Amino acid sequence: MSVTTRGVKNAFRNTIRSISITAILALTIALALVMLLSLKAVQARIDDVKASVGNTITVTPAGARGFAGGGEPLTAAQIKKIEQTAHVKSVTSTLEDRWVTEGTDAPTGPNGETAGSTNLQSAIDAGTLGNRNNANSGGATVSGNLPENFTLPISVTGTTAPGSTAVSGVNSFKLTAGENIDGSSSDYVALVGKALAKKNNLTVGSTFTAYGQTITVKGIYDTGNTFTNAGVIMPLSALQKLSSQDGDITSAIVTVDNVDHLDVTVSALEKKLGNKADVVSDASASADTLSSLDNVKTIATYSLIGALVAGSVIIFLSMLMIVRERRREIGVLKAIGSSNAKISWQFVSEALTLTGMAAVIGVIGGIILSNPVLDALVSGSSDTGGGPQTFIAGPGGPPRGGAGGGPTIQFGGGLSRGFTNFGDVLSNVHATIGFSILLYGLLAAVLIAVIGTAFPSWLIAKIRPAEVMRTE
Amino acid sequence: MLQVTDLSKTFGSGDTEVRAVDGVSFTVPTGVFAAVVGRSGSGKSTLLSLLGALDKPTSGTIEVDGEVISRGSDHQLIRYRRNQIGFVFQSYNLIPNLSAMQNVMLPMEFAGVSRRERRERAEALLDQVGLKGGKQQRRPAKLSGGEQQRVAIARALANQPKLILADEPTGNLDSKTGRVIVSLLHGLARSENTTILAVTHDLTIARRTDMTFEMEDGKLTGGHDVEDLAGASVPG
Repeated sequence: MSVTTRGVKNAFRNTIRSISITAILALTIALALVMLLSLKAVQARIDDVKASVGNTITVTPAGARGFAGGGEPLTAAQIKKIEQTAHVKSVTSTLEDRWVTEGTDAPTGPNGETAGSTNLQSAIDAGTLGNRNNANSGGATVSGNLPENFTLPISVTGTTAPGSTAVSGVNSFKLTAGENIDGSSSDYVALVGKALAKKNNLTVGSTFTAYGQTITVKGIYDTGNTFTNAGVIMPLSALQKLSSQDGDITSAIVTVDNVDHLDVTVSALEKKLGNKADVVSDASASADTLSSLDNVKTIATYSLIGALVAGSVIIFLSMLMIVRERRREIGVLKAIGSSNAKISWQFVSEALTLTGMAAVIGVIGGIILSNPVLDALVSGSSDTGGGPQTFIAGPGGPPRGGAGGGPTIQFGGGLSRGFTNFGDVLSNVHATIGFSILLYGLLAAVLIAVIGTAFPSWLIAKIRPAEVMRTE
Repeated sequence: MLQVTDLSKTFGSGDTEVRAVDGVSFTVPTGVFAAVVGRSGSGKSTLLSLLGALDKPTSGTIEVDGEVISRGSDHQLIRYRRNQIGFVFQSYNLIPNLSAMQNVMLPMEFAGVSRRERRERAEALLDQVGLKGGKQQRRPAKLSGGEQQRVAIARALANQPKLILADEPTGNLDSKTGRVIVSLLHGLARSENTTILAVTHDLTIARRTDMTFEMEDGKLTGGHDVEDLAGASVPG
């Protein structure tokens, strides 16, 4: 019988004790595994949230929200300040404009302001919302009534990064025909949304007019979004020149080097731009959700450490008790020629057998319990978070979510900034068990056994057979 | 041959110093069954620990067949205990969850003897000490005191040691079984050509050995060597 076999056999020497130790260890290993799985699931979800938030910040003129707000446009000097801010990787500038179809009675502002005119027809019917919003947002005549033949103006975005999903506030941007345009160009060229192209029979190479100038269609795009597919995208300089808004910028999309630097960059930009601009990132909107997930992560981390420590303490105390109980036996083994290493290995084998059995039971228990426990942890922690939030921003404007408790919808006439539902984040955290997790479980068992028998092994080495014999 | 020269062992220091073994010298030839007798606390068990390399002497030398074992490293002492020494304890000290056979095989396992060889030798040794058949597979708890001591003796012989040290080998046995065990040890000393040194306070046992040494307060106070006993019949 080898030393290892003897160690394994010794694990069953006292059945009741072996069952008790195995059961308690299995519980701690199951708990450790559940916490490890929770930790990984929550971390994956945090990464998802951070990825969905993106590493962008939107800067808009203070008081502006698409065409519903007011204030002064951003300037080139302010864009320079933004570019010089720490962690800022790049800045995409945009100018929002809207064109009224020639021949319709264009709505005017209270002071007679007019939008640009075009020969294009809007691809979107005004409908109830369009009529009401344009009446409410100053698109009505002085008397407050919309003209009888009112049609929705066409949204136009001038940008340094045509084709950017961030600029269009969409999840995807696909050119279905033609080619992209150069954002730094001042040529009168455009990308046209597929709905607008269809409505006006535009193809690549077609031309249309705006502000009395001829503009060439270079490409047709599809974003999967009805509103943005009815818009026009031009190079920033071209639109500034066309609409006589030289140097004007209605929003800047700032890309930060790392999503973790969003908050600090927002603060820096707010400080630099003062009350001249509104600075917004999705990070603040998702902060509550991430905070809840962070709570779960913290609980899981401490519970994991606690479970591993508890397991080690259990096996340590058990082995200590066993070593003390078999002091004489250890002395005899030494007297008949066994080395300290062999005796220690015999006890480590015994501990490994107990933890191995516990690991098998614990891993099975952990797999069964992982999702229910994770659900309980997440639902317990999410009580502090807000309810589902839906963000739909105005033209070129930032996403503005509700403060929690229910859906908040904000609507405008420009390109949508996109849609993110953080409420789903908490209900979609699931633990998945992979081979690596099982490996971790086994590794934890071995670690527990080795750590738990380290001191008892040292005690074994210290036992002097002469003393043991003397106590006969 | 066991040769002990001016052997001392001191515990504690200053006012609390105790000289458990104090300048002991003696020689026991190979194949002789010797006994050290003395009252409790006379230092005989400490002497046995020193001879068995379970403890290191404060001074003096111990030689077994010319090999000085009193100044070896821990590693050397383990090897010495494994290959040169066999122990027989008063309370047998068998491993309770191993069978008699497995207990006897244990020292051979530590010495690196092959599984087949140690099984054959264990069986032969158990036969030699009178434990035969199914009893060899029994655990110690299923054996009588005398049988357990036989197993302990077989275990002590496992690695063919030059010296067997027995600490009160009959202390837990009735007088009849004790006599049988003493006879067994005596016979083994001759047949295995092994030196056996037993410590005991039982003078009736001491009288049945080839040599006796008396010990008191850590010193040898008297004894009879093998020449003194020449012509005496072998105890049986």
